[in-house]
Amino acid sequence: MPLTSSDNYFEDFAVGQTFEHVRGKTLTEMDQVLISHLVMNSAQAHFNEVHATKSGTWTGRIAFGGVTISMILGLASQDTIENAVAVTGLDKVRLMKSVYHGDTFMAFSEVLSVADGPRPDCGEVVFKHWGVNQNDDIVMSAERRVLIKRRPGQ
Amino acid sequence: MMELIRKPHQAYLEDFEVGRVFEHHWGRTINASDNSIFSAVTLSYNPLYFNADAARAEGHPDIVVNPNFLLCLVIGLSVEDLSEGGGGFLGIDEATFHAPVYAGDTIVARSTVVKVRGSDSRPGSGVVTWRTEGLRRGECVIDFLRTNFARRKA
Repeated sequence: MPLTSSDNYFEDFAVGQTFEHVRGKTLTEMDQVLISHLVMNSAQAHFNEVHATKSGTWTGRIAFGGVTISMILGLASQDTIENAVAVTGLDKVRLMKSVYHGDTFMAFSEVLSVADGPRPDCGEVVFKHWGVNQNDDIVMSAERRVLIKRRPGQ
Repeated sequence: MMELIRKPHQAYLEDFEVGRVFEHHWGRTINASDNSIFSAVTLSYNPLYFNADAARAEGHPDIVVNPNFLLCLVIGLSVEDLSEGGGGFLGIDEATFHAPVYAGDTIVARSTVVKVRGSDSRPGSGVVTWRTEGLRRGECVIDFLRTNFARRKA
């Protein structure tokens, strides 16, 4: 039994393919505060409710953008990079909207380019990924460059 | 009345002169549990990030640390020097993952101010771009440009 899907090798991706990833995720305090602390992000607007709300700019602890980026790229990962051997870059990452605990992300992806890779058994794919919240506002978009295995035995 | 000492832990727009270099505090050794928790809660479904046998089959000595964890960690270590003043996080450009990272690796972070401009939409702030590097025993394993709002001194 293979460990990964058989429909997301390098040969399966073509420029212009667009995916709506079926699993969403409600960002919880557990995720956001935990990750902010694990990565030593010391900005207390991510973990101090009183501080975060006192200026009136924010309505609660505001999510660290790194969490928003990682969660949306994560939601996109099984369909796009499950058979990747390496993620080599991120570019044009944009955070468009404040994110709070309780917001629900859905992720989308588009194939921007496919090319031969630096080794014969994989190719390079550039995806655009983006995520929306429960109001269909785009909260984040990014381009991710990955090396994906070619289908074994071909 | 005893005088209370309040140490500031933040920077302002005026602190960012193009070319200034910040060697960030602390550094951090990545543990296997960091990557496990992060990859699980971000749904980062590629076996390299959670299956040691699959990672070894790809030629790695151990599970590969999720590159998004590395990105978040290197940002996190830079926050006090760069962005704890509370400007918004706008984006990341040109992030390159130069080498795989494993549990047990120690990462330190360093940033250089590359661009500073005023903000038309927020007169009390400016927009700053830094080039941030994550270093493992002197080897650059990740670098990227990060752009944030930065508050002016009141």
